[in-house]
Amino acid sequence: MPRRIDSDICIIGSGITAILTAQRLTELVDSHIVMIEAGGRTTPFRERNQQRRRMLDYDENPWRDDHIEDQTGEGLMYRSMVVGGCAMHWDGATPRFSPEDFRQQSMYGVGTDWPISYDDLEPYYADFERRVGVAGEPGPPEYDPRSGPYPMPPLPLSYNLELLKKWGENAGYPFWTQPWAKATTEEHGRAVCRRCDTCHVCPTGAKYTPDVTLDALIEAGRVTLYDETLVRRLELADGSDRIARAIAVDRNDPSEPLEFRATTFILAAGHAWSPHLLLLSANSRYPAGLANTTGMVGKYMTGHPYMAGVIDLPLKLYPGMFETNSLLSRMHARPGPLDRYVRHDLRIWDVATSRGARLRDDAGRIQFGDDVMKDWRSPARQGTARVRGYYDVVPDKESRLTLDATRSNRWGDPLPKVEFLDAPESQALRQHTHDTMSGIFEHMARVGDGRVLSTNVSYTMEHPGGGCRMGDDPNTSVTDSFGRTHDHDNLFVIGAPTLVSGGCANGTPTFSALSLRSAEEIAAGFSTRG
Amino acid sequence: MRSNRRTFVRGLAAAFSAIALAGRSRLAGLWPQISSSAPNALDGEILRAVGGAVLPEELSEADRERAIGAFEVWLRGFRPNAEQRHPYGGWIIPYGPGDPEPRWAGQLSALQTDASRSGGSFADLSIGDRRALLEAAIEDAGERFPAPADADHIAVALMAHYFASPEANDRAHGVVIDKMSCRSIFTAGDSPPPLPD
Repeated sequence: MPRRIDSDICIIGSGITAILTAQRLTELVDSHIVMIEAGGRTTPFRERNQQRRRMLDYDENPWRDDHIEDQTGEGLMYRSMVVGGCAMHWDGATPRFSPEDFRQQSMYGVGTDWPISYDDLEPYYADFERRVGVAGEPGPPEYDPRSGPYPMPPLPLSYNLELLKKWGENAGYPFWTQPWAKATTEEHGRAVCRRCDTCHVCPTGAKYTPDVTLDALIEAGRVTLYDETLVRRLELADGSDRIARAIAVDRNDPSEPLEFRATTFILAAGHAWSPHLLLLSANSRYPAGLANTTGMVGKYMTGHPYMAGVIDLPLKLYPGMFETNSLLSRMHARPGPLDRYVRHDLRIWDVATSRGARLRDDAGRIQFGDDVMKDWRSPARQGTARVRGYYDVVPDKESRLTLDATRSNRWGDPLPKVEFLDAPESQALRQHTHDTMSGIFEHMARVGDGRVLSTNVSYTMEHPGGGCRMGDDPNTSVTDSFGRTHDHDNLFVIGAPTLVSGGCANGTPTFSALSLRSAEEIAAGFSTRG
Repeated sequence: MRSNRRTFVRGLAAAFSAIALAGRSRLAGLWPQISSSAPNALDGEILRAVGGAVLPEELSEADRERAIGAFEVWLRGFRPNAEQRHPYGGWIIPYGPGDPEPRWAGQLSALQTDASRSGGSFADLSIGDRRALLEAAIEDAGERFPAPADADHIAVALMAHYFASPEANDRAHGVVIDKMSCRSIFTAGDSPPPLPD
């Protein structure tokens, strides 16, 4: 007999969307919330400085035990499987999507409109920024529409970025400081950022990590966490389309299966593992997987590629001043009417990579001693900026996640396989997009009396989402705009999997804002806190 | 002469350790703090002769010894085949190289053997002769310095370790940047101050 654990709300996954949803639910309802995480705890705060040191010296992974060896699939899926999820080691960039991201079809005749607008989501973006403590400066309202200021003032620009901001603006593009989930004041209870330049592992606690919120919820007795516990399938109630239980295994004691029962289930396991669990949960009534009557689970996987360039400039820049801060422009994400669709953001960093010390000189001769220093100090090797833009692509229906019959985990469950595919309209626009963006890089270089040293395109989908996309029509979507699955009224999918398209900005603020909006809908099914 | 040099080297190494332990050196705070007293298998005298040939001549003797000492400390703290950082979004778990120390120790011995053919020790060669031997030994090296542990040859590893350091970065630019140390964000916009004399 499996061990049975009852709750009102069962959340599967413990990443940032799961934790912020749990936090919001505890504010709205008195319900008993259980959270299940396949991974375990990783490096505690008190050890992060020491781990940072080893990362700097040896490039070792500072996040111990942050993945499960046999729990990964083929294609793009993050390896982090840990309490707190990927946001334990995110860089903390928190730009929002633009209104255009929600209206691609209406405004540009490409892709699919979302069932909600930017205005619908705007209050939840603001709520997200408040909860994680975002430091930022609003951009010009026409490019950065917001209902209010950021919770904290922006990270100060370094000496280098001040120079580069002037350069970017001379090119005709307004730049402002990237918003970050890093504290610039102590009002939010975190240490003020110390520009350690290792945001991957923040030694001071200035960067938001979701474990802090979760630990407070656990300590307050509002959430019970079951970590190192892998949910293997969801099961229906007899004679009903409602989810009755999540069947799981304690990875440390697999002899006793676990059965989590709840009134409402929230699937918050990210772009890969959420659709994967629905497909794994196929049964006689849903032979293609739960929530998959119309075959949309695992379809329309999305994200965004980027194009980057390195530009040499006649500026005296000092490498190492504050390389994890950057400049952002959303001007090209809000381009107005277009003959041919291309939308992207634009960022500037100062980088040292092309002008550090090197073993060989331009002629290929090996250098020793003072010659290395002389070469390093050469005026010809000063002042390099990196520019980059995430650009929007329309996902094809066959951009998909499937169960891989050839690979399984130790429990015999098939693992996921992710294959991204742009819709034909985006494939046709690819060269035009690259030409447009490289034209911008060339223009910037000319304005600064510099030259483009190199450009590259990464077709790895950054900030992936989709697989359970939202929509009003069950024939083309898996959930409604709140993440409630069309097939099961007590099963919600939240965050990244519900995206219709990947936009051209980092995903976490949008994943989280959608989840906070879902939380209010979920809470409506329970008695409000008295 | 040999024992005198060794005595001098030991003295400098002890001085380096004392500085590192006291935490007074900026470098001591930035380079690894490994308390292990296990010695390297490297021949310290030949390593220092290599350092004298490949590190900047503009370094004072104490600065050079500190750079070499830091390299030795770094090597003592190295963990073979360690799991490496996998960035946000990375789905491949990379692992670092195996222990380079036996290979590097062998290279130091080989330098000594090569030098002995001309009747002396590697440490007794002129800088020019040492560089000629080293250049032949690293002729396959690329343009950029690799991560120290990835360096095929110890001479490249020693240079890679030094030139990646905050001290070298500051020295190259003639200012105090103190990269990778935790510093106030509120001075980030200031032009960095010149290096003290």
